[in-house]
Amino acid sequence: MVKFLKPNKAVIILQGRFAGRKAVIVRAFDDGTRERPYGHCLVAGIAKYPKKVIRKDSAKKTAKKSRVKPFLKLVNYNHIMPTRYTLDVDLKDTVTLDALQSRDKKVSASKETKARFEERFKTGKNRWFFTKLRF
Amino acid sequence: MAPVKKSKKNAENINSRLALVMKSGKYTLGYKTVLRTLRGSKAKLIIIANNCPPLRKSEIEYYAMLAKVGVHHFSGNNVDLGTACGKYFRVCCLSIIDPGDSDIIKSIPGEQ
Repeated sequence: MVKFLKPNKAVIILQGRFAGRKAVIVRAFDDGTRERPYGHCLVAGIAKYPKKVIRKDSAKKTAKKSRVKPFLKLVNYNHIMPTRYTLDVDLKDTVTLDALQSRDKKVSASKETKARFEERFKTGKNRWFFTKLRF
Repeated sequence: MAPVKKSKKNAENINSRLALVMKSGKYTLGYKTVLRTLRGSKAKLIIIANNCPPLRKSEIEYYAMLAKVGVHHFSGNNVDLGTACGKYFRVCCLSIIDPGDSDIIKSIPGEQ
């Protein structure tokens, strides 16, 4: 009886090109819109996970291994699996519906999410979110 | 001897309470609608048959844990659960949205 598909919830994408990837809900549309008359949400996820960094790595290698490639997508609720984890990143202002309308807006929004994800990964918090789901 | 008697009475209790919910309350039958009611925080109680595939059972239990909704494991398979609902088809899982006149929400999770 508690709504759990809220912004900042970590979910796993189940279908499509990004199946098996982790994502965070930025905005939820429970009742749908006119174009999408079903429950869906705007998610920002990880297309390419950061690689495992070891102590031996030089600074240049660490920087290269800590790169994250994000994706932005509108996903149907049926195609995500919610988890008990949350990710507190403030993506509300950058990842918006109109950012998905045109290619260059999407690229700039992706660059911003990439920066936010990478700085969160470097702090070492939310480690579950940045590890690849093994299946 | 007392536990044996209790289990038989429990089965009758659930069946009678379910019949009352079918008559007077709101419910949905089936996996897709169960997940939908859980996502939309409409479900009050989920009942799962005992021959539900374990992956599906875990998935429904996880959703119910996130939504803080009780899950009851029906002591019977999907055929029995369908009969208990008064339907002529199999029901693997069902979601009670509004219990109507029944006290199933208060009594069944309390027993577990």
